[in-house]
Amino acid sequence: MSEKKERIILDAAFQPQVRTETDTRRLMLDVIIALMPALIVAVLQFGVHVLLVVCCSVVSAVFWEWGYRKLFHKETSIGDLSAVVTGLLLAMTLPPTAPWWIAPIGTLFGIVVVKQLYGGIGKNFLNPALAGRAFLLSSYALIMANWSIPNALSGTVDGTTMATPLAGLYSGTMPAYFDVNHLFMGYIPGSIGEISTLAILIGGGYLIYRNVISWRIPVSFIGTVAIVTLLSGREGFGHFDWMVYNLFSGSMVFGAFFMATDYATSPVTLNGQLLYGVGCGLLTVLIRYFGGFPEGTTYAILIMNLCTWAIDKGFHRHQFGVSKEDIAAAKAAKKAAKEAAK
Amino acid sequence: MTHTFKGGVHPNYMKAPQVPVNVVTPPAQVVIPMVQHIGAPCKPLVAKGDYVKMGQKIGENPAPVSAPVHASVSGKVVAVEPRPHPLGDMVMSVVIENDYQDTPCHDLAPLTEEERKSPEAILARIREAGVVGLGGAMFPTAFKIRSGIGKVDKLVINGAECEPYLNGDHLTMLTFPEQLLKGIELVRIACGVEKAYYGIEVNKQDAINLLNSKHPEQYGIEIVPEAVKYPQGGEKMQIKAVTGREVKPGGLPAGVGACVISTRTCYAVYQACYEGKPVIERIVTTGGSALDGPHNALTRIGTPLGYLAEQCGGFVKDPKKVVLGGPMMGICATSLDAPTIKGTAGVLYFTKQEDRNLKNPQCIRCGKCIQVCPMNLEPVFMYMYYKKGDYENLEKYHVNDCFECGSCSFNCPARMPLTHAFKTAKLMLQAKAAKEKAEAEARAAKEAQK
Repeated sequence: MSEKKERIILDAAFQPQVRTETDTRRLMLDVIIALMPALIVAVLQFGVHVLLVVCCSVVSAVFWEWGYRKLFHKETSIGDLSAVVTGLLLAMTLPPTAPWWIAPIGTLFGIVVVKQLYGGIGKNFLNPALAGRAFLLSSYALIMANWSIPNALSGTVDGTTMATPLAGLYSGTMPAYFDVNHLFMGYIPGSIGEISTLAILIGGGYLIYRNVISWRIPVSFIGTVAIVTLLSGREGFGHFDWMVYNLFSGSMVFGAFFMATDYATSPVTLNGQLLYGVGCGLLTVLIRYFGGFPEGTTYAILIMNLCTWAIDKGFHRHQFGVSKEDIAAAKAAKKAAKEAAK
Repeated sequence: MTHTFKGGVHPNYMKAPQVPVNVVTPPAQVVIPMVQHIGAPCKPLVAKGDYVKMGQKIGENPAPVSAPVHASVSGKVVAVEPRPHPLGDMVMSVVIENDYQDTPCHDLAPLTEEERKSPEAILARIREAGVVGLGGAMFPTAFKIRSGIGKVDKLVINGAECEPYLNGDHLTMLTFPEQLLKGIELVRIACGVEKAYYGIEVNKQDAINLLNSKHPEQYGIEIVPEAVKYPQGGEKMQIKAVTGREVKPGGLPAGVGACVISTRTCYAVYQACYEGKPVIERIVTTGGSALDGPHNALTRIGTPLGYLAEQCGGFVKDPKKVVLGGPMMGICATSLDAPTIKGTAGVLYFTKQEDRNLKNPQCIRCGKCIQVCPMNLEPVFMYMYYKKGDYENLEKYHVNDCFECGSCSFNCPARMPLTHAFKTAKLMLQAKAAKEKAEAEARAAKEAQK
């Protein structure tokens, strides 16, 4: 027995001794699951070419992540699935007609330049998928605005490509086939992941239910867009119709649930998250109203990504045990001391 | 309506109150450390070769913040020497060879009915019987109550038992409800308050019902049902849940007129006053994957951890670590020879199976630590400043408010060692403050010489 006792070397590891089951990999897996409804709708509307784009994007993202870390002798990190999520998210923002080679270029920029050069997961200050999309948008403007006709409208519209509802909305000529029901179900042209608000809401609801994201950013983001568009209608639309069209067309809802909530690039403070969402919403509407692009979600989120650090610095929660009166009293005492010093 | 606080986590509770209490045969040798409380260490009152009776006082220190220790078996003292202490280090201990007679010591007579109404008599007895905070903090109870007299208007009894695995409090409620209520009444009288609030998490509904059926109001006790959430049993959380008051940063519960005493402590007070029995045994919950299953073991103080495991069926796998207390706040023992002490509510023998730590964790900035911190802290930034060694910002982010409940680390998907970092940071800040103070004093002394 004494021999056995000596053999057992106890580990005096730090507390707590138990930890939750949910790890980084599980969170990323949940995001992948949450994206499936939107992907299914895209395949139904645009055909299997969508799957080719998605596969190229995911495989290339994982390859860049693995290659970079291998090249620089760092611990491999593809096991946490974050590269898969980046690849999947980038593919979701591409038009369904995108050639297969475009996604690897976007993931190269997103994974290597934006994420790995700053130290990998958690260290990047821009959303890698969105930064990749912004890079592609400025490099391949034509390819990135080539919208194929969804299967649901194949008999209704002639030709091979068509304008998105958002373009119609802001040029003042909203065709009849873009009714609210079609917008909600995803019977519209657009980027792979953005078309069906219903599918996005199912995925987003899953993320909130699984506690992967909090409600704060999506609700404040979408809420801000809703309120601003409701208050500032356009001629030819009812105020309410204008709001609903604005909510259901474009990539705003997708961005609010899947892009703006990226952990590394959104605030962690609870009130900071609300402000960040409001900022995203305001910028989206501003770009839609006054900007050169029809859609503003990408740049709105990227700009707010850059403000994240400052927002987090500005919002501390009240210290436990310190009431508002205590803070006011401390302030008054400081002021009095200052005046006494004078 | 259940009472609670903001934040917190829901660990896998792993509780097994249905497992009957097994009375552990005392070991052939018990090791009784002279430090089983916060404060001044006791000095041994016996020498090698002495015969001691069960319950005899064998260590004492007259300092106010201290508590005497008692022999948990009868027999011959075979050594008075430093032995491994469960919380690390070597500590002066009395080793008693058990004669298996359990010859009782009658130094402490049960209090008379008159004495049980006098706060002074109760407090003197609490001190004499070596009662400390048996929830795990091991702060001398008599001193705690005495320092709160006149300031405390809300006495809170802690029955949350929010740590996973542990069942000792729950079983005490179920087995000795009347004794427990009488113990609480004694504590209430000692505190000099009209009413005691007994906060119990609603996962112990059977215990709540049982206690309510024993008419707690006649003892001046109100049962407060609480939400099931860790760390509901934390002192500050318990006060917040029951009274709605928040203890000031760096302040004591008495500062907001509250005093928190744990369930098992109240039962020990009952035993000390009604039965004249000092703290020499307690229910220790054992569990973890190195054992066959959970056990609730009535264990004498001073039982070696390895022997305790044998009595609970023995190891089915080699343990990798041995945790004293619950898995959230408990710390690791460094030796299986170390004995159980008064504050040992549980002993968990863990293998690799429970270990979810990573070698090289990477923060993903998800902010889940902020969502669960019951003290409204921001662990993600505190950890960053800790890594940089930035003391100034650590203090600015109130690292000293952290009471090391472990919620942030528990909830961290990236497995960052957050709680551990803050524990270290607090020690570093203390050392820094002590150094600065010493330097300032040296400077002042020098100037005075001039």
